[in-house]
Amino acid sequence: MSTALRERPAPAGAPGHGGVPARRAVIRWAWRLLRREWRQQLLVLALVTVAVAATIVGAAVATNTPPPASAGFGTAGDAATFQAPDPHLASQIAALRHRFGRLDVIENQAAAIPGSIATFDLRAQNPHGPFGQPMLSLVSGHYPERPGQVAVTSGVAATFRLKIGDLWRQAGTPRRVVGIVQNPQSLADEFALVVPGQVTVPTQVTVLFDAPGVIPSSIGPNVQTPHPAASGNVLNPQTIVLALATVGMLLIALVGIGGFTVLAQRRVQSLGLLAAQGATDKHVRLVVRANGALVGILGAVTGFVLGLAAWLAYRPTVESDAHHLIGAFQLPWTVIGVALALAVVATYAAASRPARSIARVPIVAALSGRPAPPKQVRRSALPGLVLLGGAAVLFAYSGMSNGNGSGSLELVLGLVALIAAVILLAPACLALLARLGGRAPIAVRLALRDLARYRARSGSALAAISLGVLIAVLVSVLSAQRFGNVLDYAGPNLASDQLIVYTPNGQGGGPGNGPNGPSGPVTGSKLAPMAKAAHDIASALGSHDIVQLESASASLQHAASGRTWNGQVYVATPQLLRAFGITASQVSPGADILSMRPGLSGITKMQLLFDPKASPGVGVGPGTGNGPGGNGPGGPDSFPCPKNQCLANPVIQEVSALPSGTSAPNTVITEHAISTLGLRAGISADGWLIQTPNPPTAGQITSARLTAASAGLTIETRNSIPTSSEIINWATVFGIVLALGILAMTIGLIRSETSGDLRTLAATGASSWTRRALTAATAGALGLAGAVLGTVAAYAAAIGYAWNNKLESLSELSSVPTSSLLLILIGMPLAAAVAGWLLAGREPAALGHQPME
Amino acid sequence: MTVLEMRDVSKAYGQGAGRVEALRQVDLTVGAGGMVAVMGPSGSGKSTLLTIAGSLEEASTGEVLIDGAPLSRMSRNDKARLRRRMVGYVFQDFNLLPGLTVAENVALPLELDGVGARAARAAAREALDGLRLADRASRYPSQLSGGERQRVAIARAVVGDRRLLLADEPSGALDSVNAEAVMRLIHEACKRGMAAVVVTHDAQLASWADRVVFLRDGHVVDQTAPLPGPESLLTPGQTS
Amino acid sequence: MYTQYYSQHATEWRDVVSVRHALLALLSEGPKYGLQLREEFEARTGEVWPLNVGQVYTTLQRLERDGLAESDDDGDDGPQKGFRITPDGAAELAGWLRTPPDLASPPRDELVMKVLVALRVPGTDVHQVIQVHRRYLVELMQQWTRIKEAEAETDLGLALVVDAELFRLDAVIRWLDTAEGRLKRAGADPPPPSSVALPRLRRRVGMRS
Repeated sequence: MSTALRERPAPAGAPGHGGVPARRAVIRWAWRLLRREWRQQLLVLALVTVAVAATIVGAAVATNTPPPASAGFGTAGDAATFQAPDPHLASQIAALRHRFGRLDVIENQAAAIPGSIATFDLRAQNPHGPFGQPMLSLVSGHYPERPGQVAVTSGVAATFRLKIGDLWRQAGTPRRVVGIVQNPQSLADEFALVVPGQVTVPTQVTVLFDAPGVIPSSIGPNVQTPHPAASGNVLNPQTIVLALATVGMLLIALVGIGGFTVLAQRRVQSLGLLAAQGATDKHVRLVVRANGALVGILGAVTGFVLGLAAWLAYRPTVESDAHHLIGAFQLPWTVIGVALALAVVATYAAASRPARSIARVPIVAALSGRPAPPKQVRRSALPGLVLLGGAAVLFAYSGMSNGNGSGSLELVLGLVALIAAVILLAPACLALLARLGGRAPIAVRLALRDLARYRARSGSALAAISLGVLIAVLVSVLSAQRFGNVLDYAGPNLASDQLIVYTPNGQGGGPGNGPNGPSGPVTGSKLAPMAKAAHDIASALGSHDIVQLESASASLQHAASGRTWNGQVYVATPQLLRAFGITASQVSPGADILSMRPGLSGITKMQLLFDPKASPGVGVGPGTGNGPGGNGPGGPDSFPCPKNQCLANPVIQEVSALPSGTSAPNTVITEHAISTLGLRAGISADGWLIQTPNPPTAGQITSARLTAASAGLTIETRNSIPTSSEIINWATVFGIVLALGILAMTIGLIRSETSGDLRTLAATGASSWTRRALTAATAGALGLAGAVLGTVAAYAAAIGYAWNNKLESLSELSSVPTSSLLLILIGMPLAAAVAGWLLAGREPAALGHQPME
Repeated sequence: MTVLEMRDVSKAYGQGAGRVEALRQVDLTVGAGGMVAVMGPSGSGKSTLLTIAGSLEEASTGEVLIDGAPLSRMSRNDKARLRRRMVGYVFQDFNLLPGLTVAENVALPLELDGVGARAARAAAREALDGLRLADRASRYPSQLSGGERQRVAIARAVVGDRRLLLADEPSGALDSVNAEAVMRLIHEACKRGMAAVVVTHDAQLASWADRVVFLRDGHVVDQTAPLPGPESLLTPGQTS
Repeated sequence: MYTQYYSQHATEWRDVVSVRHALLALLSEGPKYGLQLREEFEARTGEVWPLNVGQVYTTLQRLERDGLAESDDDGDDGPQKGFRITPDGAAELAGWLRTPPDLASPPRDELVMKVLVALRVPGTDVHQVIQVHRRYLVELMQQWTRIKEAEAETDLGLALVVDAELFRLDAVIRWLDTAEGRLKRAGADPPPPSSVALPRLRRRVGMRS
């Protein structure tokens, strides 16, 4: 029976770990166990799958939504654009051809659509040109081959009711429609394609060519090269998706620690047997770790397949939204690869701690199936506290160097330190909780003590909950800080039923930086047609509520380092005041400035810059310039400023009736100040604020924009910036849902270890009330501890950030609505406790011992 | 040739008032081909003796030598290797890893020791053949009867060139016919040159051993004399 | 020494085993000669209980006298004389097989007596006495097990007889284990010498001889 084996490897080298065959045998067993007990690991598996799938879809959408960098370039490295008519066009093209060889010339002629102000291009382009091929693709039919043929985009075809085979008489020239085409790089590009030479009067000519190594501007002022939007900016979609994926995987790892601990405990007898058969500690650890990595691989593969399928299903929607075609597998593979690797690393790391602790269980104790006695290590809270302080300091430094953009390293390090601090502090919180609950009723006391005893899983669950709360509170605090700043005012630009029509001198030529460059001041003769156009727009929207916005050559400035003033100061004309229901009696006679920004009147070192000699329409100071405080007389450091140009500490009156939008007249200069400072001559019309009865539709906005453009005006409508309360509400909901989700997922794991206690309790006559109370206390305590820890950590970071981030005062930190904090700090633990109470009523089917087989 | 030697081995658990002496100055020597049964009431230290002999626990004082090598000088990894190569264990129940087939279970110690999967599987089949279990090789433990499981455990304990078999109530969970089959297998293994220590409280099972050691309160209190030939029983009249 | 120990028991056991009924059982298979009966008896009981020829013939004569068996009239009184079972004999055998042995009253067990006596004799370590007996019993069982190991695979009758022997010895060892446990528990507080337990027991044991 004792089979002699001749090929036993010599014990040379490593001290007998059995090498590859042993590892293979151990991993094989781990795989079998996973296959048999995958249901117990479904939680982690599902989390990894969802996270990976979400990362793939998110990364695909985020990176593919912006137009491709090569849009307008095809495969060319350079493009020269000529605005026709240009007498030297032909010679310039010839020069380029001589210098760089192959060229691709695309001629465009703007053509009107009858009865519409929209246009399309008559385009002459060689479909088989050397560079332009990616800009052209055939939907059906074929490309034009002869002068009498044309291929149109589906938009043009729809507008002119064309189909293949029709004879289309365009601008007097009859052409046969032979195909439907599109520009894959820009689906919104509407054109009619003809063979080269058919565009008689080009309005714009694009020449594509390759000039590697040549600086574009040295060729000519109109030469450009494609520049990928993502490069250069650290906050590109890829890194953001990657950062989110990393945080997600961190949370999964924290939840996973609990799951793998339970799993290892359940297998303690098998692992003891393995050790009795001669497995080393390394092998025992490998079983648990391999299990973790296998769960990660399984989740990554499933998530990859699901994510890819979701992306393929969603791709047409993204294409039509983004107005360009997207290749099915045109995905950020690096991001996806990193996310897949992260999933495996996260689960492997999560399994590592249980692996280490289970390998330390004495073999005899393991064989008897007794759960390992929880380690009673008094781990100091000091490292966590130190890290928390370090995080705050790092945040402070990131704020200090924020101006020149080099603070992102500190910011990232600070975040890492903050997360590490939360993870380190979680177990200490549990110990504190157990001590605090020393005099509580038995069920609560038991629950708290168990939480502290079995820290491996409850600590990681608490850390995960804390991180969720931390994110929510941090977002709330920072957005409250940001939105609460009265100087650098942030928020939605307008109410949804508001619309501003700008004259060319309003808002520096309009926020959209439209075709109208800054032109001369708008004088009376020019203003009349503009005013008419503005009223036309208003009446088209069904509104009679239109207020002319005027600005004086005056602006506000804060003469201290820190946040600078942001926003336009309009003139408080009687008409404007009336429009917002402000009566003259409400305005104090001595007030220079009226503002709805809360707290502005309390700010010191404010100064009103003005230029009484200025001609209308030329702004002064930071109000109109992009560089804050750059071109105003007397920089922010010189306070008080010269008397003839500046009024120190103007009288500011807060009037809450003024609109709150950042582009709306939220701060106005009074007639009193205008007359006192002699600014009457410099007043110019900036635009009109139109209050519509209903929020305008996209179609109405488009037609308003066209009407405005035809009169040399631009319009501004509500942008997508959410309000502070929206952000805080969403963050609160996010934090609570995340925390409750983690609790729901982990509470079963935590209680499973103490099911023996439950049996003993039941045997000693405890009712279902005790069971309910135990679960409720566990959930509530974890929720409360997580909420407190997360909130404290978030405020520590926010205070650090505020310290040196040139914020006016720490009082802004308190601008988070109390209701949100109360919801997180009290509502969430309460909800957890109630849910625990309700769900624990049913006697678990497998109360107590799990069969070991 | 001595395979297992325990010299003056004592083992105490706990400290102070809770201190329990599980073994006191135990001396035990088992040679190749010898089968020793350890009998004693529960709590007499039988199982502790076995776990210390098999390097699963460390003796408080005294020395354990396996094949002349003292356990006290071995690292954890050395002991693990010793268990893979020299010592086979059979427990009362839960001997086989769920998730591994019978053949894989038997091959496990070899694979852990670095033997290739194919060679280890072949050796396992051979061992199973010897115990008339070849047809069960590809089943899972949950598909076996209790007696078959213990027989597989013995196959795993003897696979390779193991020298020492340690069994803790190996037939405790079996009916008497299966229990006898298990003891018979262990005895056969000893006849092939292994040394075996079997812990039991059942005299019928202990009587399969060449020598029975009586343990009480951690002490070895007595042991049986070497066996005479069996014919003495059948001719009582001639000797009396 | 252990053989001596064994033989005392063996004598008792041979009394219990009814040779008379065993011979009837053998005859129930068909007519047999006396010598053949002896050989078959020993073979069927695994040669555990040897019989001498005289014992066989005495028993056969008694059977014939009681009308339970009859012999060949023409044969001589020797090993070649044939016997066959009568209907009365078959009825007697059937009745015997179904009659339970007398287990209701305790036998006079020497080992029990020795342990009880050891309790009364000053300076005697009862545990040691018990251990001596236990060791003897285990040694006996080891020998029976050797026999079983060597032959019982092929000889079913022998296996059954050896099992019976092993279970009997095992029962005695279990009694010793229990007795030792009981003594150990009582050890801290020994019974007063004027206990009435012993005389009463003696009376009961004396009920059966």
